[in-house]
Amino acid sequence: MTSRRDFFKFAGIAGGAVAAASVSRAAMAALPEPVMQTSPDTMAPLVPNSGRPYNPVVTLNGWTLPWRMNQGVKEFHLVAEPVVREMAPGFKAHLWGYNGQSPGPTIEVVEGDRVRIFVTNKLPEHTSVHWHGQRLPSGMDGVAGLNQPAIQPGKTFVYEFVARRPGTFMYHPHADEMTQMAMGMMGFWVTHPKVKNPLIDEVQRDFCFLLNAYDIDPGSYTPKIMTMLDFNLWSWNSRIFPGIDSLNVGLNDKVRIRIGNLTMTNHPIHLHGHEFLVTGTDGGPTPKSTRWYEVTTDVAVGQMRQIEFLADEEGDWAFHCHKSHHTMNAMGHNVPTLIGVDHRGLSKKINNLIPDYMVMGERGMADMTEMEMPLPDNTAPMMTGEGPFGSVEMGGMFSVLKVRRDQKPGDYKDPGWFKHPEGTVAHEYEGPLSEPARFKAEGGQSMPRVQAPSKPTEVKVRKPQSHSGH
Amino acid sequence: MRRTLTSRGAKLTVSAVALAVLSGCASVSLEQNVDRVNEEASSFTEKKLTLSRTEQERKERAEAAQALLAKPLGQREAVQLALVNSASLQALLAQGWAESADAAQVGRIANPFFSYERMVAGDELEIGRSLSFGLLDLLTLPARQGISRYRIEQSQLRLTSDVVDQVTQVRQAWVRAVAAQQTLRYARQVYESAEATAEIARRMQAAGNFSRISRAREQAFYADAATRLATANHQATATREELVRRLGLDEAQAKDLKLPERLPDLPKQAMDPQTAGAHATRNRLDIRLALSNYEAYARSQGLTTVTSFTDIELTAMRNTNTDSASGSRSDPRGYEIGIRLPIFDWGGMQRDAMSARTLAAANQLEATVRSAGSSLRESYSAYRTAYDVARHHRDEVVPLRKVISDENQLRYNGMIIGVFELLADARDQVSTVIAAINTEQQFWLADAALQASLIGRPTNMALAAAAAPAAATPGH
Repeated sequence: MTSRRDFFKFAGIAGGAVAAASVSRAAMAALPEPVMQTSPDTMAPLVPNSGRPYNPVVTLNGWTLPWRMNQGVKEFHLVAEPVVREMAPGFKAHLWGYNGQSPGPTIEVVEGDRVRIFVTNKLPEHTSVHWHGQRLPSGMDGVAGLNQPAIQPGKTFVYEFVARRPGTFMYHPHADEMTQMAMGMMGFWVTHPKVKNPLIDEVQRDFCFLLNAYDIDPGSYTPKIMTMLDFNLWSWNSRIFPGIDSLNVGLNDKVRIRIGNLTMTNHPIHLHGHEFLVTGTDGGPTPKSTRWYEVTTDVAVGQMRQIEFLADEEGDWAFHCHKSHHTMNAMGHNVPTLIGVDHRGLSKKINNLIPDYMVMGERGMADMTEMEMPLPDNTAPMMTGEGPFGSVEMGGMFSVLKVRRDQKPGDYKDPGWFKHPEGTVAHEYEGPLSEPARFKAEGGQSMPRVQAPSKPTEVKVRKPQSHSGH
Repeated sequence: MRRTLTSRGAKLTVSAVALAVLSGCASVSLEQNVDRVNEEASSFTEKKLTLSRTEQERKERAEAAQALLAKPLGQREAVQLALVNSASLQALLAQGWAESADAAQVGRIANPFFSYERMVAGDELEIGRSLSFGLLDLLTLPARQGISRYRIEQSQLRLTSDVVDQVTQVRQAWVRAVAAQQTLRYARQVYESAEATAEIARRMQAAGNFSRISRAREQAFYADAATRLATANHQATATREELVRRLGLDEAQAKDLKLPERLPDLPKQAMDPQTAGAHATRNRLDIRLALSNYEAYARSQGLTTVTSFTDIELTAMRNTNTDSASGSRSDPRGYEIGIRLPIFDWGGMQRDAMSARTLAAANQLEATVRSAGSSLRESYSAYRTAYDVARHHRDEVVPLRKVISDENQLRYNGMIIGVFELLADARDQVSTVIAAINTEQQFWLADAALQASLIGRPTNMALAAAAAPAAATPGH
């Protein structure tokens, strides 16, 4: 695992990736060679070797697209094409993306750069690219039909504009976008400030990722593109936990995380152990007067949030969407609640019919992670992830911020589990226990009901019980 | 005739010998009948059919039956059991014997009539002796014997055909009984699944996780399943009793009857139409029956032409006249021929009736020949369709259900579906198995029908459409 990752890291530093042999060199003579990425791992930052210098970002489970300078213009080449994305180990999705991956590579430029982007369409249908949030000529905005003709399959279009304002942006199709975004077509765009900007701080670590969601029936590979809200896979950069890499930083590093939301619902993104400031939105850096400390920020649909904090607490800190269903993988929404339902005598009866049946959910859903049971072919367990103290019972939009004293600057390697100092881990209390006195409410309801309920409510505490024999 | 009459001794001798020979020719025994059936329908009876008349034979049959009942009764054994045990088959044989004997009767000559007359008139004593017989009867004897042979043949064919029919019904009853028993086992599984579902639902409501309506929905299925189980139970009893009757089992034997767990596997290959066709052209019972019927009528046609006209009575007479007064005695001899005069009835109606019957028989023969091929094609189609459908269920439908079931188990494991969906799917799967059993039953019924059709006892087989269970709706 580590060796494979190291290999790609090296490959990433060395220029990233593999040139696509499938694109004819002759046909592309005037274009920058398209660069492809085959690995879903987090690539090391791409330190600029031409153009204006900047402090590069790290794309979580992604990479930055290399460019060439052509008479002062930064030239990129995006190839829209079908891709196979490993969303979690053992689970692959048939998506559409750019240059071998979904989401596509991050494009990093510097404020004031003239940018020329060649977009080659290798999809079965026409497409276009909208540069979400950019100031640019109307004809470059990428809405097919409105600003330009759609890019037909096999054709290459050129977009050219000046990256006028620094900030966090996205790109995605604006032609049959419902399909194309449901299929994973999107990418990140970062415009770094040209000169020191009072609202933009220097940071040691700068991460970015997109929130996206898919509906892939367990056992199948292609997302259902008609799904409107009932997605079953909530992902960061088309990865789901436990497939999302950790964010590894050094102690006292100033960390920036840029999050863009291209799902169809909002995501309250929550960080443990630290307070952060929202320092930027779609509109650019936020005025200092508007910033206040938070541990959760809601990223609404089509929005971007840029959060910053000082990583001054060592440890492994959960970082996730606070909608608990979004930290689950594929699951049934009609599974009945079995908590507290006695199964004595029933399992055997059911086993006569269904030999492999096991009771699940009688005590809660955590049973799910305790039993290693076979799943449909191409899917990830609803909750999983083995931490240092057991299963973390997570899925979907979940990762870990790892703050370590000895994490070298520029080193993004996973340092492993945190070694807690003596006496700093919660542990079992072994002293005597007394029955807690139950609090009796002193107040009453604000006003009585017109019709009294037929039976007065009796509150009884049902203690969880476990049964033997299953 | 003249010669026989000239010499009295010779005449009587010839008559006696002729009568003995002729009556011998036209006789028929039970063994002949049974052997004939065993010969004709060897594929059905395996030559094991006997009619027992003595206590010893009855005992032997009872022992054979007991031996067959010791083990689970396969289809072949069921037929054997019926052959040795069924009282109605025995009745059929006895009936057939009676029919053959009646038919043989036609070929016999009527017994001669002897009269003795003694008259006294004063001193005169007259003693008259006469031996009379129907001359026409004797003259037409060869013709009547021919007819008789056809009638015997006919009765034997009819008996064979009836035995084939009985055996086919035994086979079909066996298939139904085994399938019903198999179906019952699966219906019980459906019921148990429904019971488990209802019980979980009940406990869910008790724990506060289910509303009354949700529980009632699950409970409703359970209630239906109970009805279906009861019906399946009765079906198993009814088909078993039908078999018991076909086998002619008594109470004790019925208790001993054990059926195999399941229907036999489908044959690797269905009989091809060529084979079926080849069978069909050979000696079909129905065609031969119609043919022999026609021949019998055709033969009696000429005879009736004569016999309808008139009747000739030939009488040989020898009288003795003794006159005690004169002490003289004379022995006059002679013969007398009596003819019924066709004055009132010229026999036209009889001849018409005969012609009509011959014509009917001829047409019957033609109709039988014509429909034989058609009914065989239908039987074959039923057989072939049942085979293909049963195979389709075995090779496609059931394995597909199994895939669905396996995948549902995986989905349950992943908490993508809940226990109710899993149980509903299990029920669907069981229903598919029941449907598959139905298709197998249809095949074996059609197979029995085809076997009967091939030998010439057309048996219709209506194929019931196998109902596919409704697909479970994925609730994810």
